[in-house]
Amino acid sequence: MQISLDVQYIAELLPILFKYLGVTMEMALWGFFFALILAVVLAVVKVFKVPLVHHAASLFISFFRGTPLLVQLFLLYYGLPHYIPALAGMDAFTAAVIGLSLHFAAYMAESIRAAILGIDKSQMEACLSIGMTRLQAMYRIILPQASRVATPSLMNYFIDMIKSTSLAFTLGVAEIMAKAQMEAASSFKFFESFLAVALIYWAVVVFFTRIQHIIETRLNKAY
Amino acid sequence: MNKQFQLILAVVVAVTTLFTVPAFASQTVKVGMSGRYFPFTFSQRDVLQGFEVDVWNEIAERADYKVEFVTSSFSGLFGMLEAGHIDTISNQVTITPARLEKYVFSVPYVVDGAQIVVKKGRTDIQSVDDLKGKKVGVNLGSNFEQILRALDTENEINIVTYDSGFEQDVVLGRTDAFVMDRVSTGQLIKKSGLPLQQAGAPFQKIENAMPFLNTAPQTAIRDKVNETLLSMRNDGKLAEISVKWFNTDITK
Repeated sequence: MQISLDVQYIAELLPILFKYLGVTMEMALWGFFFALILAVVLAVVKVFKVPLVHHAASLFISFFRGTPLLVQLFLLYYGLPHYIPALAGMDAFTAAVIGLSLHFAAYMAESIRAAILGIDKSQMEACLSIGMTRLQAMYRIILPQASRVATPSLMNYFIDMIKSTSLAFTLGVAEIMAKAQMEAASSFKFFESFLAVALIYWAVVVFFTRIQHIIETRLNKAY
Repeated sequence: MNKQFQLILAVVVAVTTLFTVPAFASQTVKVGMSGRYFPFTFSQRDVLQGFEVDVWNEIAERADYKVEFVTSSFSGLFGMLEAGHIDTISNQVTITPARLEKYVFSVPYVVDGAQIVVKKGRTDIQSVDDLKGKKVGVNLGSNFEQILRALDTENEINIVTYDSGFEQDVVLGRTDAFVMDRVSTGQLIKKSGLPLQQAGAPFQKIENAMPFLNTAPQTAIRDKVNETLLSMRNDGKLAEISVKWFNTDITK
């Protein structure tokens, strides 16, 4: 079989795919934003062992870590609207963001919890001794320190999330993976199309890895 | 065309568009398609086009609908239809008894047959009988899987489902043959330039139509679509669209 790589085709495809990189990044950024909020709440609930609620948090984390993201996305977009008709109005983009948020919140909650537990217990005791509430201590003293510890792993999750947005094509979101597939289906240049999309993901991840280094350096300045 | 003329033209188009917007906004119909089924629905240089797109643009114009195309992998389209994310699927959906139980269909707009395709030069496969003991690719969620399984009463054909790219596997020799509709196999072989050939005559006549949920509002859209499709068939527009993409009339 003749093997040839149509570089010209890749060069033409890249700008087309770039137009849809915005959708991919929007999904990843919104997903990370909501996942982070949810993860902090889950982590604090678990650290404080809030009665009953922490059981719910454990169940949530167990489910969303224990099932594949693709399955969760299908449940959310194709399954739930049968039982909750209001959800039929949810567009694929929203479903993808919700799915990514819930899934990654479960993972991120665990690494934030680990970071919180890594802060010496005596700090909490010191806060309480001068009259802060536990929540104040958490917000003012513990979380800022924990965030430094958690940053590397949270950035890893963010990078993972960027790549996971490619699953959104299964819901019909017109992101770069979906576009690459569609262009491949009409040009029959599968290798070129998927190579182009791989290069874009790679470039984006390299970019955010640089950002990660910068953030870590800044957070470590005080140490 | 010089720049000034282009500008004037743009202004004229913009103004006329503004004034021709009807007082009542027309109903939006969301049409699901894979965008990965050449030449029915495909994207080239970021423009969604093909037979299905032309048919729907014509339906929308005649029935005063606003059409919104939603692309998703074929296996996801029925889920979207069920969940109410789209109104119908325009992706050469074949009418089958199982689907008729669940959905109401428009009148058929394409008539076709199932076609076996093998690597060029291969002569041992000429009919479904010859597929026994062979590995055969079909599209995941497509009805060719059911057609094959129904004919394969002894369970002797090794049927493999693909989301995309089975033609590559036949060329690479990983799969012995693939089965899809005759019309698109011809197009695929011509367009891709891959060393493939149709094997034997098409079997099982199939009729393709657009499925709708069996609810009052969806059935109302279906009725309107039927009326429009029939008028397009009668005045030759449907055949014209077919000839544009296939050089032949596949609509009857």
